[in-house]
Amino acid sequence: MENEDTPQIITHIEHNMNHCLFDCKWIPCSAKFVVIGSLPKGSGTLEIFEISSGELKKVKEIERPNSFKCGTFGASSDIERRLATGDFKGTLEIWDLEKSSQVYITKEHTDIINSIDGMGGNTVNCGAPEIVTGSRDGTVKVWDPRQRGKAVANMQPAKGEIRRDCWAVAFGNSFNDAERIVIAGYDNGDLKMFDLRTMSLRWECNLKNGVCSAEFDRKDIPMNKLVATTLEGKFHVFDLRTQNPTKGFAQVLDNSAKSGTIWVARHLPQNRDLFITCAGNGQVSLWKYQYPEQRSHVDSNGVTVGVAGKLNRLQRMVVSSQPINALDWNRDHTGLAVATAYDQCVRVIVTTKLNLH
Amino acid sequence: MDKAFEIQKKARDNVKTLHTYLTDLQNWEIEMKRKEAALNGDLEQELPPVRSKVKRERPVQVKQKPEKKIVASDYQAWEKFDAEKACEEVDMADLGPVSLDSKKSNKIKTEKLKEEAQYEKERGNSFVKQEKWDEAIACYNRAIELVQDDAIYYANRGLCYLKKDSLHQAESDCTEAIRLDPTYVKAFQRRASAREKLGSLRAASHDLSEVIRLEPHNMLARQQLECIKNRMGTKGAKSKSSPTTPPSETKAAPEKKTKIVELPDNKTELSPLEKWRDGVHENITVIKPVKKPPHLRSKRALKHITIQEIPLGRTIDKSNDTNNNKSTNVTLAADIQEKMVFNVNDKLKESMVVPMNSVQFMSEWKYLKGNDRARGDYLSIIPPDLLPSIFENALESDVLSSVLRTVHNNMDRFPHSVAAYLKNICRVKRFSALAMFLSAIDKELINNMLKHCRDVENLSESEITDLMNKYEL
Repeated sequence: MENEDTPQIITHIEHNMNHCLFDCKWIPCSAKFVVIGSLPKGSGTLEIFEISSGELKKVKEIERPNSFKCGTFGASSDIERRLATGDFKGTLEIWDLEKSSQVYITKEHTDIINSIDGMGGNTVNCGAPEIVTGSRDGTVKVWDPRQRGKAVANMQPAKGEIRRDCWAVAFGNSFNDAERIVIAGYDNGDLKMFDLRTMSLRWECNLKNGVCSAEFDRKDIPMNKLVATTLEGKFHVFDLRTQNPTKGFAQVLDNSAKSGTIWVARHLPQNRDLFITCAGNGQVSLWKYQYPEQRSHVDSNGVTVGVAGKLNRLQRMVVSSQPINALDWNRDHTGLAVATAYDQCVRVIVTTKLNLH
Repeated sequence: MDKAFEIQKKARDNVKTLHTYLTDLQNWEIEMKRKEAALNGDLEQELPPVRSKVKRERPVQVKQKPEKKIVASDYQAWEKFDAEKACEEVDMADLGPVSLDSKKSNKIKTEKLKEEAQYEKERGNSFVKQEKWDEAIACYNRAIELVQDDAIYYANRGLCYLKKDSLHQAESDCTEAIRLDPTYVKAFQRRASAREKLGSLRAASHDLSEVIRLEPHNMLARQQLECIKNRMGTKGAKSKSSPTTPPSETKAAPEKKTKIVELPDNKTELSPLEKWRDGVHENITVIKPVKKPPHLRSKRALKHITIQEIPLGRTIDKSNDTNNNKSTNVTLAADIQEKMVFNVNDKLKESMVVPMNSVQFMSEWKYLKGNDRARGDYLSIIPPDLLPSIFENALESDVLSSVLRTVHNNMDRFPHSVAAYLKNICRVKRFSALAMFLSAIDKELINNMLKHCRDVENLSESEITDLMNKYEL
């Protein structure tokens, strides 16, 4: 039953495009966002839209021969605001959107870059600016925009192992200049946590279904929570504060929604305990993670074990007829988000009353 | 029925929140566009090194060290060894090399921050005008976050807290503002008000006397101080009779102590340097630098002062002369005074400008009150034919008579234009009405002037009779 504080999810602007969309990102410190997609003839587009009084205004369009798949502003400062993109051929490019030109281009991946994340661009004392890319070629590479052409870290399966398609990557735990963690999700349900400080595999598990998206609740704090979404309408929330040597991290699983693949989960930048999941049936759901009374306890062997909390769905809303494949919360305005879906629409979604939770 | 109503209400509430959200969104859009425009520019940050490069640099450092080491037995090398330089190097190593680039980018950064903070302040000020204290405080908070060392932001936030009756916060903010700018009168005043409301009267009066020291003409502060002193009188009597002292008294106690410390300082003999600085026993006027907060400074353009070089010996002679004159002859002293007035007049004349309207004329006229000569100077710079357009219909009879008197008393200074002044004054609107109120003394002055016109300026009889008619003589 709804009560007074229940947030409303409303499609503020819906804009139909004539091509396939893959990703969307707010341009930091602006009311603009960039939509990443591909035209039917196979070329890629970057389009910049500005919202102005209830309408979308196209500011700029960039077209390149290869389809883009994903993008991030995470490794760029708020002044430069350079977009890093990954494309279908495995090329990583960094764009100066003002000049519509690449400032960095490298092709180390042999196949499509499925996922990208950036870190360190505008946070102080949270490490170097770095970009992580996950590709179908099975590798996860970390890049520094200051080092041309060569990855600063490369995570790939040992020789002889089957190369799995990497679907999701994300940075986290970057609370000082040294610490940083990359989480990578694979099509077979593997979830791997790489520690970039020690250059080692910190933890791994299998979620049984392919991992579509993974995100830490915050990147620049000691790791706290992780949401990983999978096929078949499931998602897992891990409490990362306590790692048990045998059991790993405590987790809570939600598979209540029979909504098909959950494509993406995104934490609200203003409140890390709220996140939204976007499902294959075009439904977005707003969740709240409720911490348990004690986040860890000591078991019979004297080892601390994490305790998972509970998930509470605050609101859900079908906004699209097709899967929503990307969503990005605005960092500067609570409740404002942009989402792209396979129905070739980009939507500006507003969520009210988020400050009450 | 109730349920239907409830659902309706909920729907209405939801629409309302959505509506406010969307207006918020629109404001935010505008805000973002402005912010984005301000962002144009490059900003370099100091970043940690690239991951793969960290390892490469380490071995190089290890190599460098052994080369510098001097073997204990190598006495020649030790002789050349500059211990101070080595110490310096060690010190510098701690700090790390400071690149010029980073300094430059820091400068730009602070400028950006200042601009942003200034904007927040202005927003805060507009909220203050609307008496939205909480919003204003939020703005000032942001401004302070961006720029920590500006007294104005603290003082303004202090005001908001004061208005909200958060007195302790107001006091601490004002204290911070005073720490940053010890001449900030408003901060003192606000702290005084806060302290008065808090009951620490002694501290409040201390602040107010500081205000009066900085701004001797601040009547408001004087009244407030008077009021507090009255209250202190009654309260002090009470506290003496009652054994329990109120908290305000304990608070004020430390201030009292500092007063005791200060007193002997004032009595101490001045050092020779201080004597020289204050010009003790020297016949000179010492001009001391005045430290005024920006909002109190004069808005007038700076005057150009020509500096004359005077040989040291001669000035001493002159000053001796004047000293002697003063001691021997009082009349001479008066003479000097007159000369001084002359000098003052010359200076005044330089600063005078021809007025464009009666308001300008009147302000300057009033300013020169009691200085007939200066008024004469002032009139002399005004072309007579401009008088009607300056006064239009704002000429008062008392002003007219003062103008006439000035012209009369300074007849020798503009020997050929007395008639022109008289004629043009007649052309001022409503003059005929003013003429009726001319006093006998005024008329006598006019007669004198007309005589002067006839004798010196060779005015024809017909013109003189015309003027006489107009002035109703």
